[in-house]
Amino acid sequence: MLESFYDVMRRQGISRRSFLKFCSLTAASLGLGPSFNATIAHAMENKPRIPVLWLHGLECTCCSESFIRSAHPLVKDVILSMLSLDYDDTIMASAGHQAEAIVTEIVEKNKGNYILAVEGNPPLNEDGMFCIIGGKPFVDQLKYAASNAKAIISWGSCASWGCVQAARPNPTRATPVHQVITDKPIIKVPGCPPIAEVMTAVVTYILTFERFPELDRQGRPKMFYSQRIHDKCYRRPHFDAGQYVESWDDEGARKGYCLYKMGCKGPTTYNACSTVRWNNGTSFPIQSGHGCIGCSEEGFWDKGGFYDRLTNINAFGIEANADKIGLTAAAVVGGAAAIHAGVTAVKRARESGDKQS
Amino acid sequence: MARKASVDSAALALAAAHGQEQEAVYIYEAPVRLWHWVNALAILVLAVSGYFIGSPFPTLSGEASSHYLMGYIRFAHFAAGYVLAIGFLFRIYWALAGNHHAHQIFVPPVHSASWWDGVIHEAKWYLFLAREPRKYVGHNPLATLTMHFVFIWVIVFMIFTGFALYGEGEGMDSWQYRLFSSWIIPLFGQSQDVHTWHHLGMWAIVCFSLVHIYAAVREDIVSRQSIISSMISGWRMFKDHRPPDDGH
Amino acid sequence: MTVQTPNGFILDTSGKRVVVDPVTRIEGHMRCEVNINDQNIITNAVSSGTMWRGLEVILKGRDPRDAWAFVQRICGVCTGTHALTSVRAVEDALNISIPENANSIRNMMQLTLQVHDHLVHFYHLHALDWVNPVNALKADPKATSELQQSVSPSNPRSSPGYFRDVQNRLKKFVDSGQLGPFKNGYWTNPAYKLPPEADLMAVTHYLEALDFQKDIMKIRTIFGGKDPHPNWIVGGVPCAINVDGVGAVGAVNMERLNYVSSIIDASIEFVNQVYIPDLVAVGSFYKDWLYGGGLSGKNVLSYGDIPDNANDYSAKNLMMPRGAIINGNLKEVMEVDLRDPEQVQEFVPHSWYSYPGDQKGLHPWDGVTDPTFVLGPNTVGTRTDIRQLDESGKYSWIKAPRWKGNAMEVGPLARYIVGYAQGNAEITEQVNGLLGTLNVPVDALFSTLGRTAARALECQWAAGKLRYFMDKLMTNLKNGDSSTANTTNWDPSTWPKEAKGVGFTEAPRGALAHWIKIKDMKIENYQCVVPTTWNGSPRDDAGNIGAFEAALMNTKVEVPDEPVEILRTLHSFDPCLACSTHVMSEDGRELTKVRVR
Repeated sequence: MLESFYDVMRRQGISRRSFLKFCSLTAASLGLGPSFNATIAHAMENKPRIPVLWLHGLECTCCSESFIRSAHPLVKDVILSMLSLDYDDTIMASAGHQAEAIVTEIVEKNKGNYILAVEGNPPLNEDGMFCIIGGKPFVDQLKYAASNAKAIISWGSCASWGCVQAARPNPTRATPVHQVITDKPIIKVPGCPPIAEVMTAVVTYILTFERFPELDRQGRPKMFYSQRIHDKCYRRPHFDAGQYVESWDDEGARKGYCLYKMGCKGPTTYNACSTVRWNNGTSFPIQSGHGCIGCSEEGFWDKGGFYDRLTNINAFGIEANADKIGLTAAAVVGGAAAIHAGVTAVKRARESGDKQS
Repeated sequence: MARKASVDSAALALAAAHGQEQEAVYIYEAPVRLWHWVNALAILVLAVSGYFIGSPFPTLSGEASSHYLMGYIRFAHFAAGYVLAIGFLFRIYWALAGNHHAHQIFVPPVHSASWWDGVIHEAKWYLFLAREPRKYVGHNPLATLTMHFVFIWVIVFMIFTGFALYGEGEGMDSWQYRLFSSWIIPLFGQSQDVHTWHHLGMWAIVCFSLVHIYAAVREDIVSRQSIISSMISGWRMFKDHRPPDDGH
Repeated sequence: MTVQTPNGFILDTSGKRVVVDPVTRIEGHMRCEVNINDQNIITNAVSSGTMWRGLEVILKGRDPRDAWAFVQRICGVCTGTHALTSVRAVEDALNISIPENANSIRNMMQLTLQVHDHLVHFYHLHALDWVNPVNALKADPKATSELQQSVSPSNPRSSPGYFRDVQNRLKKFVDSGQLGPFKNGYWTNPAYKLPPEADLMAVTHYLEALDFQKDIMKIRTIFGGKDPHPNWIVGGVPCAINVDGVGAVGAVNMERLNYVSSIIDASIEFVNQVYIPDLVAVGSFYKDWLYGGGLSGKNVLSYGDIPDNANDYSAKNLMMPRGAIINGNLKEVMEVDLRDPEQVQEFVPHSWYSYPGDQKGLHPWDGVTDPTFVLGPNTVGTRTDIRQLDESGKYSWIKAPRWKGNAMEVGPLARYIVGYAQGNAEITEQVNGLLGTLNVPVDALFSTLGRTAARALECQWAAGKLRYFMDKLMTNLKNGDSSTANTTNWDPSTWPKEAKGVGFTEAPRGALAHWIKIKDMKIENYQCVVPTTWNGSPRDDAGNIGAFEAALMNTKVEVPDEPVEILRTLHSFDPCLACSTHVMSEDGRELTKVRVR
């Protein structure tokens, strides 16, 4: 007897009538016609829990920590009733070869019918031995676990982009999952970490609809990553008005002015922080007075200081911001033009002198 | 005809001033001239507003609802951006529809050895190594080269990156996003990089403008043909009777 | 063949070798190998850190004000503690003082972490070493209710119906055949000693704690904007306070402060009603299982933390005790000086690093980390398929830090032993209370269970101190001081050309310090010596074994193939491997290739 979504909802005191209403609302909110109501209801009532292998590469476990902070659904319900989290080194009871046996069992017995969730990424330098699982490189475990997976979830910025261990000079050659596994559908849920409720919403969407939500070109779910923090920031009116925090704890900071001048990366960061917010809607970085550092964006570690508005260009061995480069170039060009004008004038004067003489 | 007469009289006046007779050729048609000056104005607005988007004015006190400073600056930037982009599209059209001078900067004859010889000669002239510049009805080869690579392509870069950034604000469903942001942002890595390179592009145009204005003024004075006045009147005037070097 | 280590352990490698890899329910990746004799006693233990990320080289050349964000990503479990250590190191180097409010808020964030981390560790990482969820199915809900009411009379969630509901849910889960995280557990192992009722009570609280823990961290979300990985700044805290002025809704205001206060109340209640009673209940069934003392009765180290007043990091101002004890001499608590080049040193003879020339121990300010992935001559397997490590050679990505040449244990138990030896009134009262309740002698502290107990007591202590600093913050606000940041030295142009500093905290897992050198406004060198580097250290030049290894020694294993006891003892340290294995050479030069000799 499996406990399905429907059981969970019933257990939480939701009537069948409300349940069906929920299903139709879900269908409507997802832009699906009424004919989908029954599909959703059936799926949620009867679906056995899909096995999930949650692997950890080079990472800091912040994604797992975030995941357990989910308030809706509660992570307890996710683990007990929605999916079957058969392997996750952070919480699983077994260890050693009993743990490794689970990976083998799921991969061999559930071909095409399990989800691989990856937290962290594989290092490729030193034959992958910067991350060793069971005496072997993590990248081997990753490739094996991916071989029969139905789909892959890349949790967080490590799996999606590389994150901090891949920051310059990336000594271990930490590599995002999609560059190692190229033959499976991958959904990226970036962030350092991603928001808890975003993580569980992605999971429940996949389980409910048996497909990925609509993804953008970079593989992120549009439902959470289609707008910038800035677009929905509650401090946006102060941005448009030209009201900024100029230094920490100044008058603007105490009035909640825009953090643009403190280097806030909200204008260039796609995430749901300003709408879903963190820890059950409690706050988000900007609300608590610190600019966004852009943790869901690719390579956010290498864009210059977190407190600079104009971030750096790292190219051709130069590291400076656009204004520094531009002003220098303009000064050189302007200076050259002035010198050139001077030489021209001297030359002309001499030439006209030559003519006269 | 009245206008032509006045231009001619201006040319005659100039010729008189130089104590020599001048020839004149009509090269810049009205749409090109109009575009040039509108474009120049748009660039000025874009550069100034863009700079202040990157480095905003000091904070205004009071309530957000009573101010819209950054909003206006951004509006000016976007409006000027549209003017520049539409103007540029029109200019491309005119490159096809206008006279043969109109497409000169779009298609530099890079396969022509004599043209490259012209570039080198002009470079020598600028390095004070040549005694005399050559005479051109259109742009001289070095100017064509600079216009093409430093102006045309940088403007294209700015239009594309500009619309990519603008598309982000318009949202993923907008045509700007689909046409520009959707592929340009991933191409650069992320939005922050596009901002940075777009910002650097501004400085490239500032540098171009410095060179452009300096060269135009200088050419007006020391070369064998008129430059600035041509972009106002449309007529290229020559200071000597020898045949031009660009085959006219 | 037997060998005696200088720190008093007799190693015998003749018995059966058991390999546990991966060690699960920890942060990061770790491997453990032990030899077991014919009485199933562990006679040799080898612990190996099996991941390495190279964060310090990544930090080189960056803005010191950004360093906190990088090092915070060393660990997402003890999230923020590295960030706090980092801003303290930078403030120390640049001589920046912080406002009192910032000190109170930082302490609250750090204490919140202690409460959360200890609670999650006990229930979600450690409990399954003591608690058998499958056995809970046999429990009588009525008897469970009685047990609950006897250990925690004030806990309202104690009715038979409540436990029956949980049991039914658990039954459905187990009957589904899909055991999820409980799959392949050791549920028939005789090492599990709880009666079904205690198992059911603990499993119920496993779920309750999972629900509750997410609320604790909201304190850090309010002050730091998100959690995991909240935001910090050099010179104070980023959250401005505006209790009642114009625009107060845009800052930390009365509503936010009330929110924090209510979470503190709930946290204190949960720890007192659930965590501590569960510890006592579980402890009372295992109090004869006193393995795992390891180094705890010999060498322990604590840097201290939670400065009462801002900017004073001297021992008397630190509410968490500071000091070192060696050779089990509780009568003498020694001074710890992190700047002294002779005190904290790191050794690498058994780590996958090498030092230039014949250098042995290096102080972190002069630290060198040159990765050298060489396996010992008796390694079984190949370089990418290690079956058995050779501990006579290099065998871990963790360095071996030593205090005055001694291998030390750090963590809640170390802190409590130091505090107890110093006669710290709060700690003494807590410890004596628990020892009395369980009716065990003081020596019982020096064990796996002692470590687990100290963690619970510290969780209770930290929850109480949350209230203390909340009150302190409110008092300061009442006195008209709402400052949260000192920006005098924010601008790098105000900095000296060269500076060096050290910052320290007590992370949930133990003593943590970062050493920074700043030159021309950029980071020149950055070294972290972290709790699991102390505890998980491999052998050093003299042959001293580290705390993990020492604690595993002489433990009886019920079923050699099932590592229940090994996990139990390792988990009692709350290992954090991402923390311990992130060091990198200053010059970041190309890494040497693997060689199996």
